[in-house]
Amino acid sequence: MTDKKREGRRGLRLSIGNFLKILPIRKKKIEDAPDSDVRKTGSYKPNELAGIIHPGLQHLIVTQVKDLTEDVKLYRLEADRENGCERLAPFGAGSYLTFEMTVGSGRCSRPYSICSSPKDAEKGFYEIAVRRTPGGVVSNYIHENWKEGTRVTAQEPAGEFLYEPVRDAKHVICLAGGTGITPFRSMVKAVLEGSEDFRIDLIYSARKEKELLFREELDGAAGTDERISVRYVLSDEEKAGYGTGFITKDMVAQAAQDGEPYSVFICGPQKMYRYLDGELKGLDLRKKYVRRELFGEIRDLSDEEDYVRPGADEFTLTVSQNGQRTAIRCRRDESLLCAMERAGIAAPSRCRSGVCGFCHSKLVNGSCYTPAQSDFRREADRLYGYIHPCCAYPLSDLEIDVPAAGKIKI
Amino acid sequence: MRYVYDVVVVGAGNGGLSAASKLAQAGLKVIMLEKHNLPGGVATSLVRGRFEFEASLHELCDVGTEEQPLAVRNIFKGLGVDAPMVNEKNLFRAIVTGEDGYDVTLKAGEALFEESLEAACPGSGKSIKKLKDLLAKTREALAYNDRMNGRPNKLVMIFKYSKFLIAASHSVDEVLRSLGFSKKARSVLETYWLYLGVPADELNAFHYFQMLRGYIDSGAGVPEHKSYGLSLGLAESVLKNGGEIRYNTEVDRFLYDDDKRVIGVAAGGDEYYAKQVVSNVIPHNVFNMSERRNTAEKDRKLLNARRFGLSFVCLYVGLDRSAEELGIKDYTVFVAKKDSSRTQYDDDADLGVYVVNCLNVAVPDATPAGTCSMFFSIPVFSDKLMNGVEPENYKQFKSEIAKRYIADYEQVTGIRISDCIEEISVATPVTFARYFGSPNGTAYGYRLSRWDGLMARILSAADEFKIKGLTFCGGHTASGDGFGVSYASGLEAADRVLALLKEEGV
Ligand SMILES: Cc1cc2nc3c(=O)[nH]c(=O)nc-3n(C[C@H](O)[C@H](O)[C@H](O)COP(=O)(O)OP(=O)(O)OC[C@H]3O[C@@H](n4cnc5c(N)ncnc54)[C@H](O)[C@@H]3O)c2cc1C
Ligand code: FES
Repeated sequence: MTDKKREGRRGLRLSIGNFLKILPIRKKKIEDAPDSDVRKTGSYKPNELAGIIHPGLQHLIVTQVKDLTEDVKLYRLEADRENGCERLAPFGAGSYLTFEMTVGSGRCSRPYSICSSPKDAEKGFYEIAVRRTPGGVVSNYIHENWKEGTRVTAQEPAGEFLYEPVRDAKHVICLAGGTGITPFRSMVKAVLEGSEDFRIDLIYSARKEKELLFREELDGAAGTDERISVRYVLSDEEKAGYGTGFITKDMVAQAAQDGEPYSVFICGPQKMYRYLDGELKGLDLRKKYVRRELFGEIRDLSDEEDYVRPGADEFTLTVSQNGQRTAIRCRRDESLLCAMERAGIAAPSRCRSGVCGFCHSKLVNGSCYTPAQSDFRREADRLYGYIHPCCAYPLSDLEIDVPAAGKIKI
Repeated sequence: MRYVYDVVVVGAGNGGLSAASKLAQAGLKVIMLEKHNLPGGVATSLVRGRFEFEASLHELCDVGTEEQPLAVRNIFKGLGVDAPMVNEKNLFRAIVTGEDGYDVTLKAGEALFEESLEAACPGSGKSIKKLKDLLAKTREALAYNDRMNGRPNKLVMIFKYSKFLIAASHSVDEVLRSLGFSKKARSVLETYWLYLGVPADELNAFHYFQMLRGYIDSGAGVPEHKSYGLSLGLAESVLKNGGEIRYNTEVDRFLYDDDKRVIGVAAGGDEYYAKQVVSNVIPHNVFNMSERRNTAEKDRKLLNARRFGLSFVCLYVGLDRSAEELGIKDYTVFVAKKDSSRTQYDDDADLGVYVVNCLNVAVPDATPAGTCSMFFSIPVFSDKLMNGVEPENYKQFKSEIAKRYIADYEQVTGIRISDCIEEISVATPVTFARYFGSPNGTAYGYRLSRWDGLMARILSAADEFKIKGLTFCGGHTASGDGFGVSYASGLEAADRVLALLKEEGV
């Protein structure tokens, strides 16, 4: 109806006659509709996109294994069509994949950053680089067991360690430590291929020159694209052409352009995060300009100032899941999630750093400790006694109610 | 596994939560199944860095005050849930740009509301009086209808409550015209149309005025711990009263007997049998999970005749400056390009209108000191908006839309926020589809079209979805979308189930 016509109706007297027409009009409308089956929910565009971007779990198959260094292997993964995975979920550079597997009698999940590019996923593969951690359960399992043709299960890509043009400065100084280079390799590739557009000044530190990953590639990228630069820092070696020691605030300040805002992205071992927290203070950066990748599981609580060590070294953790109660042992220094996994309980998890909320569970009784830097719970969760078991440590015998791990969607 | 309960509630959204809470309170053996790992559906929040963002709630309607509680507060009190909330004193600030544009702030509370409307649109006095009279008559009619248990005497309705019948069968715009409001006053008064998702020349006047009255009386209700606090509170009351909740449990099939009666649901290989099933899941999805022979032709046709309500693009923005520092004074700002909801609505994907909330204005410590958060809701039609969006460009699509609306907000209000964004997250119809499985990513259930408006639905409710053993609740039912009405629809569903079980002698 045009505005004019409607204006013409000004002052029109309304009648209750309309009331009597409500039902007949509706009846007619329904009668005229087709009696076909109701359209499938998955066929609407938003639902279709949601299914592709968020498939839940993905069945993948290892198609290539490459030794990068003595203790780091690169794995190429493709969609396992035979198991119903038709295509890989897309991701933003900097995302990680959480792999789920059974090691011995334990159920485990571990996040690994995707080090290939978004366009590689379109072409059909993801890559991850796994460092063998001494004494580590999953990294050693992967190194020993993943061969060409091994079928594996990963969750959909996740994470917040992404470049966001609305938020971040156009110039990003990336600080990588050791295997922490993985998300940055993805970002560098993304810039090269045009998936992202920002300036990357990468400062990459390792103990020794031979431990630097993707060295040629990174140098190549810096040589071909003026938005990218790389410099290396070695902590355990002195060599010409390399910085020595740790990454310092001066190195960051040097990479900064006069007066222009810059973001600092950090990915590396926990020790590096703790060290840089102090080191970067001198630069007086706004929080908005400093982003770091997930902290990961905390193994050593002695670094946490407010942690009061409980009397016992082990506690009874009662887990109720779908109404079934199981009592297991939980060591003082392991997260409730780890204890459950060791006992073979399928508990949901994703980031293992307190952030994603996937492991959200209810503390029924007893008490536990959550380190402040891993406490990303919602306000109401704290009020009502909900915890994130991936970063909750026992202070007494306790009971928690844990949702079942989600079923495979594909 | 095979489980047996008195009642299975499918979906822990607002309606499902209040239904399960009430049923558990009544001592029934209740289980609630939810596909997500949290309760609440849209009534949730998200954490990014040091910010926790409200995911969907703008404001609760009809809350009353702590001393004189109205519908919503009473629901929580009745269910024994602590639900602290503040009453925001302004209804909204509405900024309309372009020719005939305006910048108007309406206040809550009857006298202040009238005063602020008169100040913005001088000469509205007489019409306001008529509107007040109409609102009062509507209230009386509803009270009468309740006294008669929903079976009012037709003659009494026609002679005594004709005004109500008129409001109940005309559009907002028609009624406001008949009351003699100027074009500007109508536009200002119609600002809330967005919350119901249908333009004012189509939206049922009675429906709209019910909501408007709720806001005028007590101001917007803003929960202190976000809507997720309310969700978790309701979930707690379910558990406290002996009910069970299973998260990460997606129902994939509705189970029927030979008599086409719903006898339970299946989820990932487990079967849950019950005497009654309550579905907080939208009928479209329930029909998708039911065999054709178990559904009625009439219901299928109704669903095929219906269109989905609006969806939203939401921006959750955490700023590293306080609201005061930035000069943000309003809790709710509506921004529109043109002053007619119809032209906006017909404008396809971009409705040219959006709402911006700054939670810190109502709840100052909602974010850490020296920061504040903003929540942009941009109503959209999923089909048109998502056209051309592919999985590969989805991230970019989100950034671009965020950039566009933030720039528009800055230009319209003169408040600069783009250089203090510390966190940002963008939800789209894909997000709604992902978390709630709602068809086409709708946030508002079914569109309250003229033929399918509130009154039409209420009058036909008794004859639709007459599925034995199954009761629906939530924003897709007769009462339409909205937090308060969804909670209420859950209670109604619970009452119905209790009555049915009583009939069956349970
Ligand atoms: C977002 C993200 C991205 C990541 N990306 C990568 C990547 O790209 N490449 C990569 O190699 N890694 C990556 N990681 C780390 C990875 O997820 C694993 O943590 C790593 O592989 C070690 O796992 P593990 O099972 O081998 O070791 P774990 O078994 O988890 O043990 C790790 C260490 O802790 C010790 N430990 C184990 N249990 C205990 C205990 N109870 N008390 C004290 N100490 C204990 C072990 O001896 C070992 O030294 C990433 C982590 C995160 C959070
Ligand atoms: S697994 Fe992410 S919060 Fe625990």
